[in-house]
Parts: sequence; C-alpha cells; structure tokens
Amino acid sequence: MTTKNENLSPTDSMQLINSMINQAKNNFSENGFLYLVWGWLIFTCSICHFIFLKLDLFKQPEIVWASCWLAVIFQIIYLSRQKKKEKVKTYSENIVNYIWISFGICMFIVVIIMSKTNNWPMMNSIILMLYGTPTFLSGIGMQFKPLVIGGIICWCLAILSVFIPPIYVLLLLAAAVLAAWIVPGYLLSTKYKLQNKQ
Amino acid sequence: MEFQELDPILHSQLRLAVVSLLISVREAEFTFLKEKTNATAGNLSVQINKLKDAGYLDVTKQFNNNYPQTICKITKKGIEAFEDYVKALQTYMNPNGQ
Repeated sequence: MTTKNENLSPTDSMQLINSMINQAKNNFSENGFLYLVWGWLIFTCSICHFIFLKLDLFKQPEIVWASCWLAVIFQIIYLSRQKKKEKVKTYSENIVNYIWISFGICMFIVVIIMSKTNNWPMMNSIILMLYGTPTFLSGIGMQFKPLVIGGIICWCLAILSVFIPPIYVLLLLAAAVLAAWIVPGYLLSTKYKLQNKQ
Repeated sequence: MEFQELDPILHSQLRLAVVSLLISVREAEFTFLKEKTNATAGNLSVQINKLKDAGYLDVTKQFNNNYPQTICKITKKGIEAFEDYVKALQTYMNPNGQ
C-alpha cells in the first residue's frame, strides 16, 4: 500500500474503508481454549460428583469442585500471558471480558448466599441459569451462534432442573457445559485455526 | 449540493487504511496494522507519525518481554475527522443528495 492520493477516487476511498473495516471485524482472536478447559472441568466434576453420590463412595463428594480453584489460578496465569501476545483489542472483546468477570463475581456471591442460607439443592439450578447469561451474551458479542444456542440450552435446563430430583441436576450441569462450552469451544478452536492458516 | 473538500491528511491510501482499521477496534499494535495494510514498516511509521501530529492518533511506545511495542489508538479528533471525511465522500458519490 502506498501514500499516493492523486488517483484515489471517492469510490476507491469508500472501497478501501469498507475493506479495512471488514478486515478488522473478521479478526477473530477467541481460540476457545478457556471454554474447553472450563467445559471439561465442570463436565468431569459433575459426573464424578454424581457417581460419588450414587455409589455413596465419599462422605463429602462435593470436594471434587475444589479443583475449580486450580482452574481459576491457571486462568489468571494464562490470561496474563495471552494479554502480552495480543496485537489488537476490539470493543466487543472488551465487553465480553467484562461479562465473564461479572459472571465470576455472581458465582462467588451465589456460593456465599447458598452457604449462608443452607439452600444447596437450589444452587445447581441457579448456576445453570448463570451459565446461560454470559454464554448467550458472548455469542451475541462475538456473533457466534453456537454460544447463543448454548446459552439458551442452559436456561432451558435451569427450568427443567426444578422438576427432577436434585441428584440428577448434576447430569444437567454436565449436559449444559457440553452444549454451552465444550461444543462451541471446539468450533471456536477450529475457526481460529482456519483463520490463522489463511 | 456543494462538493466538500476532502481532508488531505486522510485522503491518502495508507493513512486512510490505518484510520479505517483503528475506527473498528479499541487499539492495535503496529505489527497488526502492517499485516493488514501490507505496507513497509518505514512507510507505515512515517504515515502514523503524520496522523499522530494531526492529533488523529494516540501512539504509545512500550516494551513487552524486552521487545519494543507501538500501540495505536484513534482519538476523538480522529473519529470526527473520519466521519467528516466519509460525509464529504458522500457528496462526491451522490452529488444530488439522493
């Protein structure tokens, strides 16, 4: 590209503006890695918790969820490294980041409320509803339909969860993360790899 | 309808490309702009400085893992200039205002 302007007609200028805006818009920086990390972690924890409860293997089967703290530490380190590699910051990425931060804060508050009110059976239903919101909004922000669908599935499962015995809600949690994070995570990863190949 | 004068700072292929890229993102690194515009580093650097001198861009130089990094961001003045430029272009493309 040059700095010439003699031959730059209004049509050329408009075409150049459109092409550059599209290039910036199509720069997809979400590789889906964290969706997969959290998706598989929650999926495994839900299934393990269900098996431990069903077979009465441990006194405190909910201990499996402590592994989420390790994932939080891993995520902080991973994101601080990724931030250094970023070449461009978009407005939608910024909004999506804040959506997930607010989700993390809501999860923390829910755990405090539930532990204080001792209303644990309700917790998984509320968590299912909370999973849906950032997933749906991220999908809208990134214009990525699988996340939008995943978010809607979480909300449907949250409604379903109040009609089944609490132990089976753990299986709904696994189904929710499969639909909302694992499947979209693999699709995001494929999309990201394809973009970087071009 | 009268033809509006096109801003000479923006009416250049590379500078217009840089501003068009930055209008759609919050901020971008020099390497991103170089990659998208296919310009040479020297030429791009000169044009970015011209946009910076006109007050259209904020340019921050920093170090990341011991490597120099140049981050560009469009200013409010830059956004207004870009909007005026597009409006002026429209008077040329649609002189009857239809």
